[in-house]
Amino acid sequence: MINITINSQSIQVPEETSILQAARMINVHIPSLCNIENREAIGACRVCLVEVEGAKTLMASCSTPVKEGMVVHTQSKKARLARRTVVELLLSEHDGNCQTCNRGKDCELRSLAEEMGIGDLPHEGRKIQPHIDDTTPALIRDSAKCIKCRRCVTVCNEIQGVGALFPQGRGFDTFIGPAFCQDLKNVACVQCGQCAAVCPVGAITEKSSTTAIWEAIENPNIHVVVQTAPAIRAALGEEFGYEPGTRVTGKMVAALRRLGFDSVFDTNFSADLTIMEEGTELLTRLKKALVDKEDVALPMFTSCCPAWINFAEFYFPQFLPNISTCKSPQQMFGAVAKSFFAQKIGIKPKDMIVVSVMPCTAKKYEVQRSEMNANGVQDVDYVLTTREFAKMIKEAGLDFCSLPDEEMDAPLGLSSGAADIFANTGGVMEAALRTAYEIVTGRELPVDNLHVAPVAGLEGIKEASIVIENTVDDWKFLEGVELKVAVSHGLGNTRRLLEHIKANKGSYHFVEVMTCPGGCIGGGGQPRYTDDSVRLKRIAGIYAEDEGKKLRKSHENPDIQKLYAEYLGAPLGEKSHHLLHTHYKAKSKTVEDDVDAVAK
Amino acid sequence: MSNNISKISSPLDLIKLREKLSNKTVENGEKQQILVCFGGSCLASGAKEVRDALNAELEQAGMSDKVQLVETGCMGPCVAGPVALVGSDRTFYQSLKAEDAKDIVQSHICGGKRVERLMIADAEGKIPAPCRQDMEFFKRQTQVVLRNCGWIDPANIDDAIANNAYSALSKALTDLGPDGVIEQMKISGLRGRGGAGFPTWLKWNFAKTEKADTRYVLCNADEGDPGAYMDRSVLEGDPHAIIEGMAIAALAIGAEYGYVYVRAEYPLAVERLNIAIDQAREYGLLGNNIMGSDFCFDLEIRMGSGAFVCGEETALISSIEGRRGEPSPRPPFPAEKGLWGKPTVLNNVETFANVPAIILNGGEWYAQIGTDKSKGTKIFALAGAVRNTGLVEVPIGTSLGELIYDIGGGIINDKNFKAAQMGGPSGGCVPRQYLNIPMDYETLKEVGAIMGSGGLIVMDEDTCMVDVARFFLEFIQEESCGKCVPCRTGTRRMLEILERICAGEGELQDIDRLEELGAFINTASLCGLGQTAPNPVLSTIRHFRKEYEQHIIDKHCEAGVCAGLVRAPCISACPCGVDVPGFVSMVGDQRYAEALKLHRERNPFASVCARVCFHTCEDKCRRAQLDEPVSIRAVKRFMVDQEVMVQMPEVRENEKNAQRKIAIIGAGPAGLSCAYFLARLGYKPLVLESEPRPGGMLVQAIPSYRLPREELAREIRMIESIGVTIETDKKLGRDYTLQSLKDDGYEMVYLAIGAPLGVDLDIKGSGSEGVTEAMSFLRQYNIRGSVPVGKKVVVIGGGNAAIDAARTAMRLGSEEVTVIYRRTKEQMPAYAEEIEDALNEGVKLCTLLNPSEFEVEDGHVSGVVCQHMKLGEFDRSGRRRPQGDVEDEPEVIAADQVIVAIGQALDKQIVIKDLDVEFNESGWVKADSRTGATSVPWLFAGGDVSTGPSSVAEAIGAGERAAVEIDSLLTGEEHSFWRGYEDQGAHFDPDAEPLPYAREKLPTIPVDHRRHNFNEVEQPWSEAVALRQAKRCLRCDYGKQPCVSKEV
Repeated sequence: MINITINSQSIQVPEETSILQAARMINVHIPSLCNIENREAIGACRVCLVEVEGAKTLMASCSTPVKEGMVVHTQSKKARLARRTVVELLLSEHDGNCQTCNRGKDCELRSLAEEMGIGDLPHEGRKIQPHIDDTTPALIRDSAKCIKCRRCVTVCNEIQGVGALFPQGRGFDTFIGPAFCQDLKNVACVQCGQCAAVCPVGAITEKSSTTAIWEAIENPNIHVVVQTAPAIRAALGEEFGYEPGTRVTGKMVAALRRLGFDSVFDTNFSADLTIMEEGTELLTRLKKALVDKEDVALPMFTSCCPAWINFAEFYFPQFLPNISTCKSPQQMFGAVAKSFFAQKIGIKPKDMIVVSVMPCTAKKYEVQRSEMNANGVQDVDYVLTTREFAKMIKEAGLDFCSLPDEEMDAPLGLSSGAADIFANTGGVMEAALRTAYEIVTGRELPVDNLHVAPVAGLEGIKEASIVIENTVDDWKFLEGVELKVAVSHGLGNTRRLLEHIKANKGSYHFVEVMTCPGGCIGGGGQPRYTDDSVRLKRIAGIYAEDEGKKLRKSHENPDIQKLYAEYLGAPLGEKSHHLLHTHYKAKSKTVEDDVDAVAK
Repeated sequence: MSNNISKISSPLDLIKLREKLSNKTVENGEKQQILVCFGGSCLASGAKEVRDALNAELEQAGMSDKVQLVETGCMGPCVAGPVALVGSDRTFYQSLKAEDAKDIVQSHICGGKRVERLMIADAEGKIPAPCRQDMEFFKRQTQVVLRNCGWIDPANIDDAIANNAYSALSKALTDLGPDGVIEQMKISGLRGRGGAGFPTWLKWNFAKTEKADTRYVLCNADEGDPGAYMDRSVLEGDPHAIIEGMAIAALAIGAEYGYVYVRAEYPLAVERLNIAIDQAREYGLLGNNIMGSDFCFDLEIRMGSGAFVCGEETALISSIEGRRGEPSPRPPFPAEKGLWGKPTVLNNVETFANVPAIILNGGEWYAQIGTDKSKGTKIFALAGAVRNTGLVEVPIGTSLGELIYDIGGGIINDKNFKAAQMGGPSGGCVPRQYLNIPMDYETLKEVGAIMGSGGLIVMDEDTCMVDVARFFLEFIQEESCGKCVPCRTGTRRMLEILERICAGEGELQDIDRLEELGAFINTASLCGLGQTAPNPVLSTIRHFRKEYEQHIIDKHCEAGVCAGLVRAPCISACPCGVDVPGFVSMVGDQRYAEALKLHRERNPFASVCARVCFHTCEDKCRRAQLDEPVSIRAVKRFMVDQEVMVQMPEVRENEKNAQRKIAIIGAGPAGLSCAYFLARLGYKPLVLESEPRPGGMLVQAIPSYRLPREELAREIRMIESIGVTIETDKKLGRDYTLQSLKDDGYEMVYLAIGAPLGVDLDIKGSGSEGVTEAMSFLRQYNIRGSVPVGKKVVVIGGGNAAIDAARTAMRLGSEEVTVIYRRTKEQMPAYAEEIEDALNEGVKLCTLLNPSEFEVEDGHVSGVVCQHMKLGEFDRSGRRRPQGDVEDEPEVIAADQVIVAIGQALDKQIVIKDLDVEFNESGWVKADSRTGATSVPWLFAGGDVSTGPSSVAEAIGAGERAAVEIDSLLTGEEHSFWRGYEDQGAHFDPDAEPLPYAREKLPTIPVDHRRHNFNEVEQPWSEAVALRQAKRCLRCDYGKQPCVSKEV
């Protein structure tokens, strides 16, 4: 332990602690912009400068480790004024159209200016060259608003291991963007939106679909269906002042109805459907491998996450055969809504608009994929992020907190607890195991409260195994098999896991991948700012939702059973295949290669 | 390199090889050698062609076998390139061309006769130092790092080994071991030569003691400071020194691999270093089991692609690792966690090149060189306005003055030294009052600069310090990595402020803003680049705040550099702001009357100034960069000679102003100029003059052979004719007082009484008969018409009064006139032309003599006893201070009259006795140089009374400024309609080549025609000459509309 003094208060902290961390331990607030928890501090923004006795310069508290006997002043005049000047300089280069900025009051720079009591701006001069990159369906980058704090760079390179964003240029004209001044669509960006999730200002945001959705709602000839992803209900409340993790499912449903959606359904329904299809697919692959001795691609990977699909298509095309052919729950929902449900209420698919509320920006990209049109029209038409959805609620003048709790509509509104946990890392795996184990053995998964503890939590790569015993007759070939599974979240972890699988064939049977740290509850479209404490609270909320349900397993969902009976037939049947499954293809990482490919 | 390479597998092998090679060199000693400098600068100026021509000539002369032609690295004196050292005595030849090869081979090599025309000669054509070892440039250097540069062929390892390369490594391996090496480094006191000066041994020791499995040695060769190229020269001239230095460091810390990070802009350095690395590998001096030991070390080159910030150690490491070259926070320091997270020693080229010398000769040997805290030598890259630009290596602690004047040969064109920019963009400017400071890490820091990598840009009086600050900040802005806010945005804001100031849009608070932002950036930035980025600005504000204020308040750039403030440098240089290109170009168009009228817009004394002006305009003339300045004063002389009818200025009658009472005391240039401009605004000022004739010093001190009386009288009459009344024989303190003027109803009083008192020399015998003082001597002759002169006259002093007195005495019949001055001729404040004329007329000049007493016979002076002086340290004015040598025998100069001209003074007790006026430190009336305002609200002062003896033009300018201020106080408005510039529409073709005519002087009457009379010495040009000369003007003003201080 190290003894240090911060603002005359003596404390003991572990070695390797930064001054910033030490200050937080005793509730001394030091502002910070560039720092991201659990990453090596880069010391770029300088808003966390403090005075350290004996040091020649002020020190960035995020990147300065404590030293025995160190005496730190966070509120000395010198430190205070320097931090203030940093923010003043940032404001002087920043395109400060706060009135029309997407961030509004949620802007960290604006909060800092307010905290520091900055009134007028003493430094005037050239502003940053504006460039708006809206070339992807998911994201908009506005360089004039960028303050070069580099959180996006850290997230994109270090946490996601994607590397679509870099600092470029020099001096005042330094900017953050894809290499060689390209726009995002020309590079291997997976559109996960983690950059938008960490951006302190309005420089990276999701591309809004709000206007089109309002128009659809207001069009009497269109039946507008909405689905909400499992991760929304434990995060949406934050936009209205609730603690992270507070479940607001009922109010959310009420809000959607009041916004004018014609049918309010749940993506959870199609999550249950996914388990039926994907579980069956896994068992089929295992059978082919173990009984028929066919050369099937194992391990099988989950396919719910569109950014993960993107990542695999760009960076690991050799694993594409391993990815489950199941569409994501969002897309399954759209396909079912525009076929089964449309038939049921007697309208044509083209007269139906399916909107989904997602914690994700990549979902905006996913709906536009050319193969996602099972019924001759796009399966899903528009995607709202949690943040956009909250804005619509505010725009409509709804007092969210005083809304009553309402129930989802039938027939696509009922879901099991297994669907709820799709929202967090390890959840899809757990849901699949609950069903698959029971199908194979006829018994409930023998774990405490149905939770597969080893695959839960925020550890980057998790693994578990279950020995299958006493199987029912149909699945005798699995008797005694040790089913090995792995879970990763964050593409940086995923990359490590994939490299491991490449090197160690046969290590797993089934792997769940979620792009965002913590899973969808930490998605790129969720309320800002998401750190591990927020992630844990949202996960707790999701598990509580699951545990509060009578139905805990997907195959028990009666509406799912009805759907198969009335419409689909059996999992992996022909209709399923047509509506609910898809395929993947390798993508080139650069636009030039694409041009070459076209030319050939 | 020998063809049959055998590995050096033991220290003994190395010794044997060296002995073999040295023997060969001894054999070569019988052979002659021609060393041709193949440094970057010499290559650029044609060294290759010279080498080829020499080769061809040698072949033709059949001497190829007997003469060895060596291509060496940089020799140092880069300005003179291509250079070569020839023969056993190392004769130094400069500025070589291919055509010179013939002479060198035939005359020197074959005939044994040096080629004098290729050697460095002084102004008189004498060759003071034919050989390298005699030249001041080399003699004063101590070459440790540059020990082999210029002596060996850098592409041949044998050459290096013959000169002891790798002997230090051998010693380190066999005798010292890692601890011994670090011990020697500690004793040597070597500090990092990259700039920060961190003790090298300490850094090595940190890396050595850090726990790790792998360690690295890195060499920083990413030299990027503007003007610095010492690392490049070592890389190009002696690459093995770096390899050996790095290997020794690797041995000391336990590293097995190293990288040299060289900027890609140094292709020759990369090429030669690559050759050296390959050759060292082939000899087994790099690689496994070096010289048969357990020690393994190899290295490779990494090329940087031009980012200045990659000279910062963490950024450099990041770049080697293949990432964007950006600094990261320290701690951890590279010695703890460096390349790939391993302990890393990173030193620069010069540091490593010192290492073999230290190890070989011992730390104690090295510690003898330099100062107490800063040991050893430092290479400086002399650049800028110094004669001998190039690389020099001197002991740390050598004074700046020695470097610039003794080694550097002084300032080009004998201009005044203004400041030295040291340490590049992280450094600062050292002004001339610090010429004596020892250049070591601590002292330089104290005065606001840093040692840095040793870039030293010498700046003369033509440099604008605000512009210098702007330049460096622009550089920083372009090179900032953009990571941290203070450096990225803070320096941008500073640059914008500086750009505003340079464009004439600055405000006074801008200086505070720069200082505040600068201090903030110093302490808040992430890396060394940012932390030091504001230094050029802060140091120029510290030492040259006045220049900033001039830019902001007066909208004036004295150096004539800032485009937004300077219409033409000559105009900026003129204390009166005369539109020089305007009148010169109109003379060229034969519009003489208009030209004269334009001149009188800002300066009524055109005819006077055509004769006596100090013409600072010519010193700043840009034509000088082509050949020589335009003869502006001579063009003016032709112009005023064309005046037939007196050219009257525009006068704006004003009844109200005419009623106001303004008194001006003193009818010298300042007083009359003030009266002139007031009269043009409709005032009717009264000028009171104590002497019987108006004109002040123009009539009392300046002899009529320089300024004919009628010329002055005519311009004074012109001033009187526009409403100025001059009353003569009215003496302040006798006939009236300042207070009595006020009591008589004068609202404003302008005090322009000059500095009329001569200063006596207070030495033994000064009271005796025959000792007089120059001011009264000149005044007596000029006003009364006669003054007694002796046969043997000694004039003491070096100013214009001394020369005027000497030439007057000569004309009045003295047989021998001697001027003695305690400094050198170059340091005399008198105008150079006047000194030359005086010498032509027979005046003797004895410099570096200081009178210590007067010999007296019968109460009358009979001689001057003088002490010989030597130039010592530099004084605050940047001149070397003369020092007496007590040992020396004094010299006695016989004299029957001594005229003392050592200064002028103001008799304030007598003239200003009834008013409480503030005086400045030098005893002159304290007055605002911009307005003439004194501590008394209604009293203004200007000219010599407030500045001490100065030039006519300065006085005229001061008079104008006071007139504007007085008017604006009386009326509350600005009316100075003569300020501001218009295009005069003179013919000019901007695309045409400048006319090639040479500068011409004014003709003078022959010396024997001027000995005994006071006829004007200078004669006018013919019209044809005048027109040609006027057309030499480059019209810098063409199409420019600069800011003027006050819009009218």
